[in-house]
Amino acid sequence: MSNASDIHAYLAEFDDIPGTRVYTARRARQGYHLNQFAMSLMKPENRARWKADEAGYLADWPLSDDQKAAVLARDYNRLLDLGGNIYFMAKLFSTDGLSFVQAVSTMTGMSVEDYQAMMIAGGRSPEGLRSLADAAARKDA
Amino acid sequence: MARITAGIGCSHIPALGVAADLGKAAEPYWAPAFAGFDFTRAWACAAKPDVVILVYNDHASAFDMKVIPTFAIGCGDRYAPADEGWGPRPVPVVEGHPDLAWHIAQSLILDEFDMTIINEMDVDHGLTVPLTMIFGQPATWPVKVIPLAVNVVTYPPPTGNRCWALGEAITRAVASFPEDLNVQIWGTGGMSHQLQGPRAGLINADWDQRFLDRLSGGSDELRRIPHIEYLRETGSEGIEMVMWLIMRGALGRRAREIHRHYHVPASNTALGHIILEPVKD
Repeated sequence: MSNASDIHAYLAEFDDIPGTRVYTARRARQGYHLNQFAMSLMKPENRARWKADEAGYLADWPLSDDQKAAVLARDYNRLLDLGGNIYFMAKLFSTDGLSFVQAVSTMTGMSVEDYQAMMIAGGRSPEGLRSLADAAARKDA
Repeated sequence: MARITAGIGCSHIPALGVAADLGKAAEPYWAPAFAGFDFTRAWACAAKPDVVILVYNDHASAFDMKVIPTFAIGCGDRYAPADEGWGPRPVPVVEGHPDLAWHIAQSLILDEFDMTIINEMDVDHGLTVPLTMIFGQPATWPVKVIPLAVNVVTYPPPTGNRCWALGEAITRAVASFPEDLNVQIWGTGGMSHQLQGPRAGLINADWDQRFLDRLSGGSDELRRIPHIEYLRETGSEGIEMVMWLIMRGALGRRAREIHRHYHVPASNTALGHIILEPVKD
């Protein structure tokens, strides 16, 4: 709470978390149309049109070329970098018939089987993954 | 008079709803997740609440990026299960309690909580999965539900302190409703999980258990946990636990634990739930 009223300090801390993109206003603005495109796949008639012609469907949306390429490649880490939010991107992978486990595992560099085995064994430990700065300081020590 | 008799904190993992809907609850993977709710289903059946104020977040179902309310209260007559991309869940329509909901909305606004009022919306797994876990699979839900949607998707979400204070204000509002109603408040979401990026799959059982520990007793230290701690310690989606603090704030100064259940994993997530009752000073 101490720095909750200082928006600059509040936001700066988010960049120190390894392997994580916090969905800030900057990302929400960058990804507005990307996320709204994904939202459009909630409607069955849109899903049918999308499946028939993905590139044609995307042409109707004001996305950057990078965003379009990442959508077509289903590159979810890249999509998050370009302003996508995971709950919106879920409309895209659900349309592909993927579960959250299947889609999320693609962002980790692990196979679905290895990712699922990690979860059954208790999940990924936060040890060493809390702070980039802390990890760097330990390395130097 | 209406009064808040109990609170529940509960994960709302969508895969639990899918498992229940497809009849997979007895399968070895899911059985321990569902078994922890046996006590809770019996308890809820005996407690017979008239109304549940159900704090949850929408996951790009009723709200998209066009409108992002921080706190929104459902004042409608009923809410249909949302089509989240694979058809609506085969669960009963959720009946609202517009009289109490409007009373709470008006009272909160006078109490300086600037609520968004919703008359029509569909409700997604965030709201329907806890109902399934706690009431099973009845033909109609045995309670009226007042949905209270919180933005925990686009930063910043409300602070834990603000959530706690909203809970306190909800209790004041409920207490001034003239009808004799048994009201529960549920805070849902969490526990530790991260659904994105190379750090996906993060689980922090120690932190989660300490959070559960600190919900009972007379301390209000949980309200001072900053967002960055949830993000670092419990994964990017662990932030949903601020919604449990609305529930806890509504129980007053002291609360006692009736039941707790914690299980890893359910899909990508640590499943936790707790039943709390307010303790009179």
